[in-house]
Amino acid sequence: MLFNSLDFFIYLPVVFILYWFFFHKNLRLQNCFVLGASYLFYGMWDWRFLFLILASTIVDYIVGQYIHNSDSTSLRKRWLWVSVVFNIGLLGFFKYYNFFVDSWVDLVTIFGYQMKSSWTLQIILPVGISFYTFQTMSYSLDIYYKRLSPTKDFISFATFVGFFPQLVAGPIERASNLLSQITTKRTFSYIQCTEGLKLIIWGLFKKVVIADSIAPIVDDVFANYSSYPASTLILGVTLFSFQVYGDFSGYSDIAIGTAKLFGIELMSNFKFPNFSRNVAEYWQRWHVSLSTWFRHYVYIPLGGSRVSKLKSIRNIIIIFLVSGFWHGANWTFIAWGAIHAILYIPVFLIGRNRLYMNNVVAENRWFPSITEIFQILLTFSLVTFSRVFFRSESITDAFGFLKQIYNNFSFEIYEHPLGYRMIDYFILLGLFILYEFRIRRDERSPFKFKSKVVRFIVYTLVILGMLLFFDDNIDRSFIYFQF
Amino acid sequence: MKKLILKSFLYIFLILISLEVLVRVFHLSKDTPTRILDESKVEKWMPNQNGFSVTGNRRQNFSEYHINNSGYNSYREFNPTKDKIEVALVGDSFIEGFHQNYYNSIGKKIEKSIPEIEVYEYGYAGYDFADQLHLILAYKEQFNVIDHVILGIKFSNDLTRGKYEVVTSRLALESPMNNLLKKSKLLVYCKSIGILDPPQQLLYRLKNVLKPVPPINNVSEEELLQIKNEKEHLYLANFNSLIDKYGYDKDHFTLLLDSRITSNLFLTYLEENDFRYIDFSQYFEKSNKSTILIYDRHWNNHGRDLVAKAISKYLKEIKIKQKKIF
Repeated sequence: MLFNSLDFFIYLPVVFILYWFFFHKNLRLQNCFVLGASYLFYGMWDWRFLFLILASTIVDYIVGQYIHNSDSTSLRKRWLWVSVVFNIGLLGFFKYYNFFVDSWVDLVTIFGYQMKSSWTLQIILPVGISFYTFQTMSYSLDIYYKRLSPTKDFISFATFVGFFPQLVAGPIERASNLLSQITTKRTFSYIQCTEGLKLIIWGLFKKVVIADSIAPIVDDVFANYSSYPASTLILGVTLFSFQVYGDFSGYSDIAIGTAKLFGIELMSNFKFPNFSRNVAEYWQRWHVSLSTWFRHYVYIPLGGSRVSKLKSIRNIIIIFLVSGFWHGANWTFIAWGAIHAILYIPVFLIGRNRLYMNNVVAENRWFPSITEIFQILLTFSLVTFSRVFFRSESITDAFGFLKQIYNNFSFEIYEHPLGYRMIDYFILLGLFILYEFRIRRDERSPFKFKSKVVRFIVYTLVILGMLLFFDDNIDRSFIYFQF
Repeated sequence: MKKLILKSFLYIFLILISLEVLVRVFHLSKDTPTRILDESKVEKWMPNQNGFSVTGNRRQNFSEYHINNSGYNSYREFNPTKDKIEVALVGDSFIEGFHQNYYNSIGKKIEKSIPEIEVYEYGYAGYDFADQLHLILAYKEQFNVIDHVILGIKFSNDLTRGKYEVVTSRLALESPMNNLLKKSKLLVYCKSIGILDPPQQLLYRLKNVLKPVPPINNVSEEELLQIKNEKEHLYLANFNSLIDKYGYDKDHFTLLLDSRITSNLFLTYLEENDFRYIDFSQYFEKSNKSTILIYDRHWNNHGRDLVAKAISKYLKEIKIKQKKIF
């Protein structure tokens, strides 16, 4: 069930009303209902994969208890390994098995051996597997590091793993945040619900108006890159930056907004990354739940930045490569991660990686300074450059794309593949950037206006935008579902 | 909770009102002219209506139409006389041309090419060959004076019936309920861009939920070919039945078709039996620009230029100016 589908627009109010009118009396009833609704939500894709979620839930529930009850460190470690091996095993099989087989075949071919890739399997990637496996692992890891005590309530734990707003594409929650809310009875809050509805509307706008409307252009440019000049290719990859941002941050907003309707606060996942002043700030603002996951469970255990410079650089490279690989079983994602490592290391070496941690661009000012504008444009350009690898089907295509920019460095007016006016998109993106800049201080309040009239006008314009840019003929699924 | 529900409904209501106003102010949705069934049982538009046809979101295609006194979209009135040279184009929505400004129609383009003639466009969305021949028979007096008649025909869907009957499903669009719904421009707009498709599909699914699902028959290629052959023979039989019933003047009438989508059986039949036709397919094939609109398969301005060119060339060949037709 997609957040932007009719099914969800029927499902959500029904579940919401049942939850607050009939299943609000006690915590157990609330959690049983949310769990059932979540499994229904997921099962509408493919009910068979519910067993994987259930297996992951059972394993980490048991492992959590054993880690907590074990006195010796070695035993705790052994139980932790059970969780890690099981979850990574699931991911490895469903997501990476064919990639490893193919890569092995390619490798032996380089050394002159002929081998047929007959071990590859027809495997369907279960939606959300990268997200919920990481979430359950974080539970066992937190117990291992003694940051958390395990819950004895299996229903609550299963609800934590399967909570439908964030089950298929995050935010990847930590038990310390989500589980503690799930083990506490939720009470209805009018303010929380209205905030949730606002986030849902804003998320839908980003998905329908920004991401979906740009998608045909991006698809066309990347599919036919060899026949386009540099100007079109640069336009295509720039628009892809906006597409992937609109798509994923839109999803996250809808997820956070939906969770609010049920009295749950999920962590923020996007904090206006397009206004980042360097790559380090970008990673503090882009897919926050994943980058903090890697920081807490990979980077810091490896020593983080509290080791020698050389080891810190090694740690940075590791987390970026792993992060790239997490996105998909393709060398393009590893290359994308490697580029980000290369971009991050200089910022780290000159000590500017924590510079913008607690402030936003043009803090206490209306407009950014010239330096800030330059920094934002530079960061955006670098990140956009890396997206050539993120979006291309293969490494060969990515290099072909870049080579085409170099070889055919010319300008040509691009015409929309479906015949739409391109000016509409430029105006739309211009207004979107200005609006996001206006609301940049709080990613959870997209409609923060004192005047009710202004707020109402903005709501109307946002919905009008959806009507103007809605396209019935395009694939409306979310990009991050494939991860 | 009550406050939330009440406020949500209030906001939804106010936003819908505002959107309705905005859709009207920016003229985002199309106007729909009224249909009628005249005393001769010819379905056409109510005479003397004006409006704007809008296709797709953001007014991708915006054009004005004018329903003349005869009930067809044209800039001119249809007053054929023996003194003038008139050509009638009879056909469906492609000839009707709501996707173009009525001053830029195929007929107007032909008139520009041959200024001595007047072109009367009897186009109406949904007209098939039965509708067309019935129309010509019903307006016999007019068509007898018109020098030449060109009938647009699409073999695959214009010959599905062998006799004329009023198409009630089209006229049902004029039901009071539909007319009431059409009053909301927002609703018309949402329908035109496909937002209302999923709820409609859902309603359809719910309506049929208790009905048994018909088994899916796997049809072999041979069977498919046989079905195709049977259909083609049926269409040909319908063609013959229609021209027998309503008459077809081979000297006076010419068919307009695209041979790329017309069965060889039909083309051979036309040639063997001296039915004249204009084939515009070559023009479309040679074109390196798109000939259709973004949102639907109707001809765009370039496509209409090419069709007008094909018709003009044909009319010049048959010496329409000297009235020396065949």
